[in-house]
Amino acid sequence: MVGIGTTDFSRDSGRSVLTLATQACLAAIGDAGMVPGDIDGLVRCDLDTVRHNDLVHSLGMKRLDFFSEVGPGGVAPSAMVGQAVAAILSGQATNVLLFRALNGRSGRRFGISSVGGERIGGSGTYDEFFGPYGLLTPGQVFALIAQRHMSRYGTRPEELAHIPLVCRRRANANPQAQMHDRTLTLDEYLSARMISSPLRLFDFCLETDGACALVVSRAERAKDSPHPPVLIRAVAQGSLPAPQPGMQFPVLMRQDLTTLPARPTAETLYRRAGMGPEDIDVAQFYDCFSITVLLQMEDFGFCAKGEGGSFAASGAIDLGGSLPINTGGGHLSEGYVHGMNHVIEGVRQMRGTSTSQVVGASTCLVTSTPLPPGSALILRAG
Amino acid sequence: MTDPRLAGGILPETGDIDTAGFWDAAREGRLVARMCATCGAVLHLPRAYCSECGRWEGRWEELPGSGRLHSWTVVHHQVHPAYPVPYTIVLVDVDGVEGVRLLGRIDGECDLRADQPMHVWFEEVAEDVFLPQWRPSVVEG
Repeated sequence: MVGIGTTDFSRDSGRSVLTLATQACLAAIGDAGMVPGDIDGLVRCDLDTVRHNDLVHSLGMKRLDFFSEVGPGGVAPSAMVGQAVAAILSGQATNVLLFRALNGRSGRRFGISSVGGERIGGSGTYDEFFGPYGLLTPGQVFALIAQRHMSRYGTRPEELAHIPLVCRRRANANPQAQMHDRTLTLDEYLSARMISSPLRLFDFCLETDGACALVVSRAERAKDSPHPPVLIRAVAQGSLPAPQPGMQFPVLMRQDLTTLPARPTAETLYRRAGMGPEDIDVAQFYDCFSITVLLQMEDFGFCAKGEGGSFAASGAIDLGGSLPINTGGGHLSEGYVHGMNHVIEGVRQMRGTSTSQVVGASTCLVTSTPLPPGSALILRAG
Repeated sequence: MTDPRLAGGILPETGDIDTAGFWDAAREGRLVARMCATCGAVLHLPRAYCSECGRWEGRWEELPGSGRLHSWTVVHHQVHPAYPVPYTIVLVDVDGVEGVRLLGRIDGECDLRADQPMHVWFEEVAEDVFLPQWRPSVVEG
């Protein structure tokens, strides 16, 4: 991981998505000590509106020997790194650029029902079993998952609260975070309005205009980088068996709602890395919602299934704890760049340049494991 | 129950080649799930191929109109004009078969508990379009 770059994160960028992507990519290429002509591979997220050819032209790249696309959405970022690794190791590219750009607040908003027209579903979407009942957003899906976890394991809102509270404290130290200047207390969390029970306002991620980009290169090249080398120890993708079809709502038909594809992804990742959860110094968990983090902490083996609430409340996830999480503030408080800002923050931790640096950290877990499948990676300080 | 016809509610596509049988049955007041005709494996959400036995022949099995509440959420933040808040979305595991879970919507805020008994009823949301819906069972005595 030789270069990282971001734009500012805001509610109204006043710029096109292509401009945001170009700015973040130029920053990442410059951070790597390269010029656009050095880049010969591009990986995009399927939900991005910026295409490969848009960036080749906008950046003034000279060639495009490798291009690839990963999705859906937030499942992509770690797998995008995996695509870059595969392209480089197989000789298809030498320097691969990954990006995610969106006007997620001023443009198309994810929390708004995307349902249009009189009829919904069919053609393999299976949305006819969900939309007519008023189930219309990812937040409602994760609310149903959260309620099941609370019913089955006795998880309490006061425990879940620690995830957004910790993310907010990290954002308060990060000048780039959208919530940098706004503190959050437990009382404020509990008294905030209910969106879809049991999830309250601060259990939901932010909406963000912004972009992130990274450059992946060969390990030998990383030694010539202007920054301390950051190595990719392992990357993995995974799916549960019988995950149900469709884009998002059918995941509610899975037998066990409280286990995410994070579990099989973790098994593959740890095996490839020759590591276990005890070897992870700091973690960046995909946090579209607070409950998503709680489930992943269980599925990645930091506590047993059902104990995510007490683990979150134990102090373990705070700075100084055994597993500091989301040290840039995450989606809940830094900004929502669809999991790509989590990879950037992982690189910063391994360089030693995070605004909430974990002292002596040499391994960082980065997850992109909401639903339906997932991906994750482990970074190592070189 | 709010009538989505009046408020421009979202209607299901009832003519999909894999799922139409579910909606055809609902129109007749019957609750069904797709099963493998050979080995009886549950093919829900409805699809053609049985990966258990490798056969393509399925049938629509009539289910009991009862189930257990798996989870629920009370929606307080409105995202669609046809669905005024608050309303409660319920997830119900249908009795008698492993692996058939369905949604329902109840107006307002319900006092619910996990695994409580639920039973089905059929809501006509447009001409010839019926949604299976679920409400808490009334416990006698």
